[in-house]
Amino acid sequence: MKKFKRRLSLTLRGSQTIDESLSELAEQMTIEENSSKDNEPIVKNGRPPTSHSMHSFLHQYTGSFKKPPLRRPHSVIGGSLGSFMAMPRNGSRLDIVHENLKMGSDGESDQASGTSSDEVQSPTGVCLRNRIHRRISMEDLNKRLSLPADIRIPDGYLEKLQINSPPFDQPMSRRSRRASLSEIGFGKMETYIKLEKLGEGTYATVYKGRSKLTENLVALKEIRLEHEEGAPCTAIREVSLLKDLKHANIVTLHDIVHTDKSLTLVFEYLDKDLKQYMDDCGNIMSMHNVKLFLYQILRGLAYCHRRKVLHRDLKPQNLLINERGELKLADFGLARAKSVPTKTYSNEVVTLWYRPPDVLLGSSEYSTQIDMWGVGCIFFEMASGRPLFPGSTVEDELHLIFRLLGTPSQETWPGITSSDEFRNYNFPKYKPQPLINHAPRLDTEGIELIVRFLQYESKKRVSAEEAMKHAYFRSLGTRVHSIPESVSIFTLKEIQLQKDPGFRNSTYPETGHGKNRRQSMLF
Amino acid sequence: MVARLASQQRPCKRRRAEEDATPAERRPGPGPEEPRAPVKRRSPPRERLSSPLRGRALAPLERQAFREYGPSWYRFRKALEERFQPRDPLALQPQVTAEARCKLISWLIPVHKHFGFSFESLCLAVNTLDRFLTTTPVAADCFQLLGVTSLLISCKQVEVHPPKVKQLLALCCNTFSHQQLCNLECIILSKLHFNLSAPTISFFLDYFTHMRIESCESDAWEASCAKTLAKGVAELSLADYAFNKYMPSLLAICCLGLADQMLQHQKPLDLKLSDYPEGVMQDCLDKLHLLVSLNEDSLPLVLPPEISDQCLHLENSPNKQKKNT
Repeated sequence: MKKFKRRLSLTLRGSQTIDESLSELAEQMTIEENSSKDNEPIVKNGRPPTSHSMHSFLHQYTGSFKKPPLRRPHSVIGGSLGSFMAMPRNGSRLDIVHENLKMGSDGESDQASGTSSDEVQSPTGVCLRNRIHRRISMEDLNKRLSLPADIRIPDGYLEKLQINSPPFDQPMSRRSRRASLSEIGFGKMETYIKLEKLGEGTYATVYKGRSKLTENLVALKEIRLEHEEGAPCTAIREVSLLKDLKHANIVTLHDIVHTDKSLTLVFEYLDKDLKQYMDDCGNIMSMHNVKLFLYQILRGLAYCHRRKVLHRDLKPQNLLINERGELKLADFGLARAKSVPTKTYSNEVVTLWYRPPDVLLGSSEYSTQIDMWGVGCIFFEMASGRPLFPGSTVEDELHLIFRLLGTPSQETWPGITSSDEFRNYNFPKYKPQPLINHAPRLDTEGIELIVRFLQYESKKRVSAEEAMKHAYFRSLGTRVHSIPESVSIFTLKEIQLQKDPGFRNSTYPETGHGKNRRQSMLF
Repeated sequence: MVARLASQQRPCKRRRAEEDATPAERRPGPGPEEPRAPVKRRSPPRERLSSPLRGRALAPLERQAFREYGPSWYRFRKALEERFQPRDPLALQPQVTAEARCKLISWLIPVHKHFGFSFESLCLAVNTLDRFLTTTPVAADCFQLLGVTSLLISCKQVEVHPPKVKQLLALCCNTFSHQQLCNLECIILSKLHFNLSAPTISFFLDYFTHMRIESCESDAWEASCAKTLAKGVAELSLADYAFNKYMPSLLAICCLGLADQMLQHQKPLDLKLSDYPEGVMQDCLDKLHLLVSLNEDSLPLVLPPEISDQCLHLENSPNKQKKNT
């Protein structure tokens, strides 16, 4: 035991927090060691004292229950057990075995662990702990997790944790590197100044802010963590995905500030989203800019799709644009979920305008193609100045789609006639209309491309990767295809934003749009 | 090594036979101190369905996407493996043992099936659990809380309907409080710096199966049977600490290879699809083989009947004789 403690203190030295916790941990272990000597845990459990061999436990309980309670619903292959035993535990080894035996000896837990059989229709609760008659207090738990005893984690504790507790077997260099990052201000709320609120939802509030480190503007998305169900799914998805996505056409997550009550995501700040951009130019965009924006959407999306990340919620409000014309995909909260809900957590209705018909008809089998329909809708909206299918309900949305593209039949959408959802709607049989009538400013190549996006059968929709090679983009030159992922297309001198014909210098103060513009970032 | 294995098999073997007693044979209800978890079932556990649909290894759309992006998905996941691989997470744990880990995961397996969650969720949960263990010492009696919290986090990433905190607490017989679970969730997220999208065995099983279906000589039925069986084997391996050292992609290819052997497939998967040297794969295959023969009684139970019937070929396995020692 002593040896073990010494080893722990060696490995854990160097961090105040851990040092404290270590002594608690050690204390606790000493108690257990002692108690094991006077058979205390067994008395505690209200059971007659027994020896600590598995066999005797097994023996004892076969008497009371029909089946031997000691189940080890697992196999440890020799190699592992061997290497496990060979670990330099020595003195402490006995304790651990003892702990383990207690777990095994627990009558209730053994019974319950019968649920590990797949025959069991509904797994029962299993208490894998040894002292089941007592609820663990928070204090207790914090100790056991090596946390301070307060019920609430004190303010700033998590930040401190991030700074002070490197994985305990990490070399010094790594540790000091992280420390130095935090010294310059990463991961700290003090580093950012909140400027103005951009919007608010049930789960998050978005502020415009400034980083004291770089003096750059940032968007601070503050997500409240105190919910019945803990951290919101969208936050977990968005952060875990964005951490791995580094691309010129995907919004950059600069920093994460984690406090006990909230999680603040620090994003790069972009002036407007595509919806606002279109509003600001009176919905008449330069067709050249439409091409540049579409190309950038596809570029960002192809990058995501190559990583098996689906966006699932593409809409103009989720595409952010800066002064230079750089467009970035934002709001990955729905990405990687298996289905697209119709309502957000805050019970706001998710817009249906960019949703493909197969998903509207209840299909849950989809992949990267789900995003491509929305790209087509956005392309149309940029080119024509109005949304393509502004439906208010699922039925309305489908109706608008079919009225323009024709009601699908077995020929145009194999398998559709066997869909109950489709038959139940009983749509009139519309003939497809030429798209050019609705988007007269689009050239033939543009029309050809938009048709490739708006395919009923999702497997026929063009992929982002392929769409970038379409003739429509030929005028952008060839170099645009070979620039590195992290480099903006505007670094090429031949790529430049043009003045939009409808653009009027925004005389409205920003607040005019402030309420709605970041709505998409709120759930 | 073989001798040691043989000597250790007895206590390690899964006692599935006893657990699989019918409800009538089971101990009547739990005592009053241990309330039975009032868990609502969201959907029937898919694993027990014997519908022919199970035979479909991949949905058609997924195949389409695989055709377009499969190789790049594979490249990226494979490049990430090293970063997400927990290296001996129990090495510095004062109390959590390989056995406790095994017990916990063996419990999480039916729990995730009960909710109808995907294998992907389970793989992610185990990865989150293991990586958290490399950062923080955890006491034995908080270990179960860590297990369900990891499951909660993984489901929030990939499931449509993650479990309710209440349900998870009930599964632990309300030993822990709501606040404790939520706090632990925060701690895990912060300790792992939100790095949660680990590559999983589940992904690689899909990938290799897809590659196999795409290659013209293979048989789609064989491919889907092999995948189902391989998934069962992979589940067993998740619970076993001995397999922690193997990368998910290696485990996936070896599980599929073993499944082909067990099902005596005519057109087995070409193991060269992975970039692993033969020796490395053989080592992993041998271990898996042993794992399967140790769990011979329980493995068929996680498989649909049409697959488990075919698995009887296992009897011919070279490890068979060791089993009876």
